[in-house]
Amino acid sequence: MSFEEISHTADIKIRVRAPTLEALFSETFNALMQVMYGTARKGGIIKEIKVESLDNESLLLDFLSEVLFVSEVESLVFFTASISIHGSRLTAELSGEPFDPIRHSGGSEVKGISYSGLSIIHDANGYMLDIIFDV
Amino acid sequence: MLEGIHQIGLHEWEIPLGYVAGMRVPGRIFLSESLGKILEAGAVQQLANVATLPGILKHSLAMPDIHWGYGFPIGGVAAFSIDEGVISPGGVGFDINCGVRLLTTPLQHKDVTGRRDLLEELFRAVPTGVGAKSAQKVSLQSLEGMMAQGAQWAVRAGYGVERDLLRCEEGGFMKSADSRPVSDKAKQRGIPQGGTLGSGNHFLELQVVQEIFHPETARAFGLSLGQVCCMIHCGSRGLGHQVCTDHIKALESATKKYHITIPDRQLACAPITSTEGMAYFSAMASAANYAWANRQMITHTTREVLSKTFRIEYDEMPLIYDVAHNVAKFEEHLVDGKSMKVCVHRKGATRSFGPGASDLPADLSSVGQPVIIPGSMGTSSYILRGTRTAMERTFGSTCHGAGRIMSRTQAKKMKSGKEIVADLKKQNIMVRAHSENAIADEAPEVYKSSEDVVNVVHEVGLSRLVARLSPIGVIKG
Repeated sequence: MSFEEISHTADIKIRVRAPTLEALFSETFNALMQVMYGTARKGGIIKEIKVESLDNESLLLDFLSEVLFVSEVESLVFFTASISIHGSRLTAELSGEPFDPIRHSGGSEVKGISYSGLSIIHDANGYMLDIIFDV
Repeated sequence: MLEGIHQIGLHEWEIPLGYVAGMRVPGRIFLSESLGKILEAGAVQQLANVATLPGILKHSLAMPDIHWGYGFPIGGVAAFSIDEGVISPGGVGFDINCGVRLLTTPLQHKDVTGRRDLLEELFRAVPTGVGAKSAQKVSLQSLEGMMAQGAQWAVRAGYGVERDLLRCEEGGFMKSADSRPVSDKAKQRGIPQGGTLGSGNHFLELQVVQEIFHPETARAFGLSLGQVCCMIHCGSRGLGHQVCTDHIKALESATKKYHITIPDRQLACAPITSTEGMAYFSAMASAANYAWANRQMITHTTREVLSKTFRIEYDEMPLIYDVAHNVAKFEEHLVDGKSMKVCVHRKGATRSFGPGASDLPADLSSVGQPVIIPGSMGTSSYILRGTRTAMERTFGSTCHGAGRIMSRTQAKKMKSGKEIVADLKKQNIMVRAHSENAIADEAPEVYKSSEDVVNVVHEVGLSRLVARLSPIGVIKG
């Protein structure tokens, strides 16, 4: 399970590989939080997110967009996400802490999650995706 | 230049029908030979994708600062027929009405040289960076005012003077905004961020007028050599981002409902006159107005700091102009010799209305609209004027900035934030940001030369050079 940044001129493009769909979502979530707030993050405060969407790509995009929303309006920086997916429904338990300008100011604000080039590939090696974060 | 693209005139290149399947019109890019060497195939593909959308008129256009984005390329312009065309959030982007304004001061370069205290005071007064919250208390009622009346709301709330509104594209607000299709989530994000700069490529910069290319126009705009100015670059913050996210989801269903085939899901769209299309337009216009109010509030804070620091009067700092970079609007343009109302999408492009165009204040009607092109951090910014050529060839549009050529990952490998600050210091440019990381993202070397970009639009005539400003102090968002 891992993510890597792929060169993209204007925005941030992330490639993620994982053995399961849940792990793929969780790792993409990690990438998003790392881009925004860096690596010095801790758990503690629990938030639950539920989304329902038409397909896996929309489910991921809607989940990450909801994370952006909760993170911004509640000034929370998340560390982990425990995700379960059943068909078109996702439930995530996020663990995080209040935004701390000293430790969390090193990143880039993500304006939105893009559908461009987003496709979740599933083969014998597991799951893989490329995703663009608009910064 | 990439294969399959043909030169058809001075700095003008055509992407022929068939470059991608389903193109309804050819693509056109305005680009010099040297900028063509760094043109990305991904950006051209995106430009060609736009040409497949229903109701597109004349050409899918790109300015010389074109680069690979999502949906439309950055630097993309497309106009659509009202009756047969579509509207797409992918043609505007997440940061609705990301834009730029320039205000002048009575100060000269020597007055601000080495004034680190001024930069620190501005940095303290204008909230910047990830997680920044507004110093002003915006109520839900005020938020509705921002969305309905943009900069006009801000001026009437005490954040400026009436004259400022004459110096804003659209008079500082789109009259057709309707906040009913703006979600509660978007409003929740908008309330704490009124008057904040944001992060990424957003900035507040002290600049000096270094060179005048056209004295008569510079005088008409209110610019003089050696004068200190302040440039503000930011957008609609979380409210605009949420409007885009919400409506892409809604328009995905609409794309299927209206049987529209799109080559990229980020180009989700709906007929302009459909319920879904108008809902997006109304919400987008509300977010655009929020951005104009936001820039007006930051202008007010900036004027207060300058006024207090230098004992100058508030009204000695007039606004030159304010332009939107990411927006869709209804405008009158000539198509096949006939004037018609069209929906122009500008994604990383600037309106460049020429002399005689509507929406220009009386005193600028014979001159043309001021066009503000910010440089990258540490490089020159340019003031140009709009032209009739732009009205004829690009639906009154020109470039919006330098355009990135390097990813953030590459940028950070090349130079650290500390090294960049040291380099800029050698050029007597002060920089202030919350983190060195933010500075490393925006090193001058990661952008095309703004000079190369503006020279192309000047030579083609999409806008004409008036003045060059160089940076003195940068507050990086």
